[in-house]
Amino acid sequence: MSVKRRTFGRRQVLSGSGAVALASGLAAPAIAANEPIKIGYLPALTGPSSSTGIGINRGTQLAVDEINNAGGINGRKIELIVRDTQSDPTKAVNAVAELAQRAKASVIWGPLNSGEALAATPLIARDKVPMLHPCWVDELIDVKKYPMSFRIAPTNTQIGKGANHYVVDVMKLKKVAVVSDTTGYGTASVNTYVPMLKAAGVDVVYTNHVDAANPDLKPELLRMQSAGAQAIMPWSVNAGFLSRILNTRGAMAWDVPVIGQTTLGSGQTKALLDKPEYWNKVYSNNFRNVCFAGGKLPPRAAEFVERLKKSKVEFGDTLLWWVALGWDGAQMMIDTFKAVGPKAEEVVGYWNKVKGWPGVYGTVTWTPEQHNGFPDEEVVMCEVNSLKDGAFNLAPGYSS
Amino acid sequence: MFESIVSYGLAVGAVYALIGITYNVMYSASRVFSFTAGMLGMLGGVLGALFINKWGFNAALGFVLVLACGAVLGLVTEVLTVRPVLKSIEQHLYVLSTLAFALMVQQVTAIEWGTEAQPFPVLIPIDASSPAGSIWGIVDQKFWLPVLACIVTIGGLEFLYRRTLIGRAFLAIAEDSYAARALGLPETQLRLASFALAGVIGTLAGFTGAQMLLAFFGNQSILNFYGFVPVALGGMGSNRGAVIGGLALGLFQQAANFLVGGIFAAVAVFAVFIAVLLLRPEGLAGAPAARRV
Repeated sequence: MSVKRRTFGRRQVLSGSGAVALASGLAAPAIAANEPIKIGYLPALTGPSSSTGIGINRGTQLAVDEINNAGGINGRKIELIVRDTQSDPTKAVNAVAELAQRAKASVIWGPLNSGEALAATPLIARDKVPMLHPCWVDELIDVKKYPMSFRIAPTNTQIGKGANHYVVDVMKLKKVAVVSDTTGYGTASVNTYVPMLKAAGVDVVYTNHVDAANPDLKPELLRMQSAGAQAIMPWSVNAGFLSRILNTRGAMAWDVPVIGQTTLGSGQTKALLDKPEYWNKVYSNNFRNVCFAGGKLPPRAAEFVERLKKSKVEFGDTLLWWVALGWDGAQMMIDTFKAVGPKAEEVVGYWNKVKGWPGVYGTVTWTPEQHNGFPDEEVVMCEVNSLKDGAFNLAPGYSS
Repeated sequence: MFESIVSYGLAVGAVYALIGITYNVMYSASRVFSFTAGMLGMLGGVLGALFINKWGFNAALGFVLVLACGAVLGLVTEVLTVRPVLKSIEQHLYVLSTLAFALMVQQVTAIEWGTEAQPFPVLIPIDASSPAGSIWGIVDQKFWLPVLACIVTIGGLEFLYRRTLIGRAFLAIAEDSYAARALGLPETQLRLASFALAGVIGTLAGFTGAQMLLAFFGNQSILNFYGFVPVALGGMGSNRGAVIGGLALGLFQQAANFLVGGIFAAVAVFAVFIAVLLLRPEGLAGAPAARRV
């Protein structure tokens, strides 16, 4: 088979490109009116941090499918350009370049994990694309450095405040032990939350950073017990470390509540427990709008669950709050495009004025000075052993 | 408190001692200090949990398969990472080749197995309501299984090295590989056999200690380091030194856990390690190397 190679002279190329430019220039208004609105979307659908991404993805896809099936926004469909970050910050960074510069996404939703968001946020800000994300690390929001970046979830400080509020104001405990592993997250959490507890009048009787690989935590728990701790607050995302605390507490037959981060209630932690009952009296962070109170979900969440069932979206094998968060993120963008269209300045201007936006996962309020949108009072604690249909019971003591 | 220091200290110490012996068995046959010992320990736990928990094999079959995998990995280590660098052993290239191989295996484990610690099956269930079950610290397999494995291993090695011809051939290679080869001993095959044996001992350490340490890819670096300490304390190549060093390390670490706690327990271990090496660089059981003048 012979291949005929055509060669172009410089003049031909120039005249050709001129013709293309003329054609596209003329056709531009007609295309813009119908072309889809692009959302750059950066979930981690594979890799070690993917369970969150998979849950969030179900909600986001549902919201986008619903609006597209209803004809889109003023005739324009939403196009979700998905780039799986594979839980890898490097891949997230590469995807940002593609989405912001080549694909010209109107908004970027994600990354959904803090590690990736820390790497990607400065680049998204540099490319001047509005960014919406659900990551908890406080530093990700800074209206001066990243004026187009908005958070639709609580911050780590709010997570700590929620746990502290439960210990101090709901359980009315006075003596608390606070421990962490030796990771950056663990030590930073203890260093932030302990002063908050002390300021609230709590006696922090024991505090320490413990090597998460240490197989025997009995010495630590004995010290907490002899210091008179009425609650243990461990700050770690390491299921091995947390399960060792719970197993040791169980073996010591010490009836002390354990209050802390969401990993306490994860399936990985549960799998490592010596006995199922060691999960009793363990309370982890959760969110008021998606917790059972008196056996019932709040109205917005109940309605959302019906919607999920109707659309046959599975949520029993993940967490309801992840799916709800995915829905809220997409719905926030859809509402914005409906109100002001997809232009970056208009989107940011609209978001800067959002007040009391009723999401399924949380009620969002942003101002030009404050891009953290989640209200403190919606960060609550739940009973980890009460998981049913992807949601938990509110921890005892809250007024429903 | 005393009971907890002894039960946990001996159990963890036995795992460290076995990893130390793994280092020694590989070192004796090749003069290569192979950093794959921690990897073998980590895989002992991960493969055990995979075969028994995930694939549903019975415990005995799972155990045999884990040791077989260890032996194969030992052979692969020798062929891929040790043999090519033996010619220039004085350049210590084996540090790179063995460490690189171990890190590759660890990364593959992280990707395939996951980065979260996972449970290891209880092989010998105990009934907490029975009279034996009430003595919680002694009947739990996580405390006695590593110690038993350590006793069996050291007994087996003593028998092998002192009572069998092949064991004496191992010793001859370890003593002077050139002379042994001149006598007609098959050095390469013996070195391969040593690495397979080390693979078995390393995975045995990981398997028996996994209820305590969990099936976790991150155990590799911990075992690599804490397994090295008894070798350094006990003297390179000395299995008895490794056992004494390992058990002493376990007990000391656990005592430090009780007395100072938190991250300071690790600092205390390092401080004692450095102090011992300053006072006796040849190790507690090692003899100072004579220098020819």
